[in-house]
Amino acid sequence: MKAITFAGLGLAALLFGSTAVEAKTLVYCSEGSPENFTPAINTTGTSFDAARPVYNRLTEFKRGTTIVGPGLAESWDISDGGKTIVFHLRKGVKFHSVKDFKPTRDFNADDVLFSFNRQWKPDSPYFKISGGKYDYFNDMDMPSLLDTIEKKDDYTIVMKLKTANVAILANLAMDFASIASAEYADFLLKKGTPEQFDQVPVGTGPFSFVAYQKDAVIRFKANKDYWGEKPLVDDLVYAITPDATARYAKLKAGECHINAYPRPADLPEMQKDSSLKVISASGLNIAFWAFNTTKPPFDKKEVRQALTMAIDKDAIIKDVYLGAGQPAKTLIPSTMWSYNDKIVDYPYDPEKAKAALKAAGVTTPLDIDLWYMPVQRPYNPNGKRIGEMMQADLAKIGVNAKLVTYEWGEYRKRAQNGEDITAQLGWTGDNGDPDNFFFLDGCTDGKPASNNIPKWCNAEFNDLLVKARVIPDQAGRAKLYERMQEIEHDEAPEFLIAHSTVFETMRANVTGYKQSPLGTHTFEGVDIQ
Amino acid sequence: MLAYFFRRILLTIPTFVALMFATFVAIRLVPGDPVEVRVGEHGMSPERLAMFRHELGLDLPVWKQFLSYVWQLLHGDFGTSLSTQQKVLTEFLTLFPATLELSFFALMFALLIGLPTGVIAAVRRGSYFDQALMSLATIGYSMPIFWWGLLLIMFVAVNLGLTPVSGRIDLIQYYFEPVTGFMTIDALLSDQPGAFLDALHHLVLPAVVLGTVPLAVIARMTRSSMLEVLSEDYVRTARAKGLSPLRVIGLHALRNALLPVVTVIGLQTSALLAGAVLTETIFSWPGVGKWLIDSISRRDYPALQGGVMLVSTVVILVNVMVDLLYGAINPRILHGR
Repeated sequence: MKAITFAGLGLAALLFGSTAVEAKTLVYCSEGSPENFTPAINTTGTSFDAARPVYNRLTEFKRGTTIVGPGLAESWDISDGGKTIVFHLRKGVKFHSVKDFKPTRDFNADDVLFSFNRQWKPDSPYFKISGGKYDYFNDMDMPSLLDTIEKKDDYTIVMKLKTANVAILANLAMDFASIASAEYADFLLKKGTPEQFDQVPVGTGPFSFVAYQKDAVIRFKANKDYWGEKPLVDDLVYAITPDATARYAKLKAGECHINAYPRPADLPEMQKDSSLKVISASGLNIAFWAFNTTKPPFDKKEVRQALTMAIDKDAIIKDVYLGAGQPAKTLIPSTMWSYNDKIVDYPYDPEKAKAALKAAGVTTPLDIDLWYMPVQRPYNPNGKRIGEMMQADLAKIGVNAKLVTYEWGEYRKRAQNGEDITAQLGWTGDNGDPDNFFFLDGCTDGKPASNNIPKWCNAEFNDLLVKARVIPDQAGRAKLYERMQEIEHDEAPEFLIAHSTVFETMRANVTGYKQSPLGTHTFEGVDIQ
Repeated sequence: MLAYFFRRILLTIPTFVALMFATFVAIRLVPGDPVEVRVGEHGMSPERLAMFRHELGLDLPVWKQFLSYVWQLLHGDFGTSLSTQQKVLTEFLTLFPATLELSFFALMFALLIGLPTGVIAAVRRGSYFDQALMSLATIGYSMPIFWWGLLLIMFVAVNLGLTPVSGRIDLIQYYFEPVTGFMTIDALLSDQPGAFLDALHHLVLPAVVLGTVPLAVIARMTRSSMLEVLSEDYVRTARAKGLSPLRVIGLHALRNALLPVVTVIGLQTSALLAGAVLTETIFSWPGVGKWLIDSISRRDYPALQGGVMLVSTVVILVNVMVDLLYGAINPRILHGR
């Protein structure tokens, strides 16, 4: 009996012992190779996803939301009518170690200065490294927003803005604003290999970088000293798998736990498979068909409203989005704060549309050009097919739409210059702030090229847009955005098509994963059961 | 032999010049340049567009761009990738071993099955075996690689679980730094038990998929070449002398039948190296094929131009080697007869 007990204990110890030391590895089947590991010089989601485990930012999006919270800055004070923000930095935050670099100090204000100056100041020694294109820093208008960034002490940063804009706090949570180690940068500069900075990243994030093999694998290990939500796995592996069908096969075979960008056609089968989980959320995007409000007859809102009622939106979502889209009634998706759910979408009613067109004094047949997008985008799976469906619907009310398109770069340029009469386009949000969507319909002070495709300028809408940038509290801002959505709905500068639905798939034993409305992938707090 | 070698090398120069020109022009005919493809929904101000174009020399007349590209190449500089900022040569050398390893195993698969199959089909000409094999070879030759790869993944890897789905090694079980870039060799060097077998296991499906077309070609070529040789007088003489059928076929017929087969193997090797694109994409194989495709979509001019030149160099070298081998086997070629 005694012998059996000892044997049993021995076996148990062996079993528990072995499970206790076995490292937990989470495998994410990603869709491609990153350009490098410095978000500031990248533009693709693939590259941002690859660097995100390593870095933190001053502010962070709360996981699975677009709500901005503390990051490397524990708190901040806004003063001077929204033009000065003082950031109080977190103390005791450790940088990762890599093969030939061991940090000698904790994170401090110098790292913040370095990370922004690299993108902003041509005299930064790193400004020209790796091509020196800081697209997002420029796209988010940071050079025209920022006046100065200064270090008050090691743990206090004072950011002064040229014009008040509280939406900058959301910009700072974006990948391009990741904070890197200034000490590492100096070390590489002295060593004469500054390019290594963008290939072997050193940050403060939940995982530290281990190795990367182009088109094959990226390896990370859990940062045991992480200040935030601790990683629950020991190792994180990105298995680079460009083909969506192969990704699905790997997920099914258990070779990966989480799968990026499943093919919509595979979803029904995935949903039936009990070993898999499918989650979905409305994408942070919008597809629209813009009316050029500077050209007749679209300078009359009644004409725009009439055409809005002529198109069968549900048919487009069913046939082109294959159901993976939500009909849009305002510019922003329902997952965003300030979404005005009280707005009732225009009905699909060809008869009413015909009558409204007549009442607006338009004689039919009316000939228009309908520009359709030549490329597939996350918000628009098939511009041509949508164009053809619109064309057929418009014909029913006596509008002859001629389908027109150009090469994508040319298309966008011409549409931005207002050369169209009607054009499809869309938007993918950057930072989850409503301003990042509503600025699309803001007045552009007469500038010809802008993202305002309908060239619509409404004084009240624009006034509210500017006001919302200086109100520090979210509830106060939300009220203004709700009103702006009412104005926009009434004026109908665009026919709003859809927000695409984003799906993510994983093994059923994955727990704690939260889908980000921003389309990003993060793995702290994720476990395998 | 030496004179033949130099003549053959000299003949590759016009091929290189033509390639240089063709790649340079072809990528520029595709709409959108490296700067434009970076622009997202935000758009880019005309000033920034102009600044980036100037930095990349894209605002220069095309002939000037071409000349500076040729000058660079003459100095052995294949340029720097615009998307990764890495030297094109470094990227190529990192990825090429994977393509080479896959191509080698695919060729081994094609040879080990294709040669005996072709011989047996020729010996049993007109039999059901011959007809079945040749029908299969025709199917193999016309097989759409993408479909074939996915079918095998779904059936062999997912449903039967006999092989891994894709990749080069089990990423959870094994981790070692690449030394040679050849996963099988690195696995051996790593001393990790099971790593070598796992690397081989990962090679099975992609090698079968990539080797299918060459297998069909080699089998058909071996068959027709053997048929020709088997009707020669010296084979009849060998048979009349009472030699065993194995000796007649293996020693007398096959050796002579191999001559055109060697040429086909050479051509197929080039095709494997250059044409692994689809297989690499399906099996997430980090080789040069996939890299070149990505370079096209990113309009990464230096990576694409340099990559094509480097792959072409390898293909041309293989062809020269085959020519030399052929010359060694058949001395009449060396003397221009």
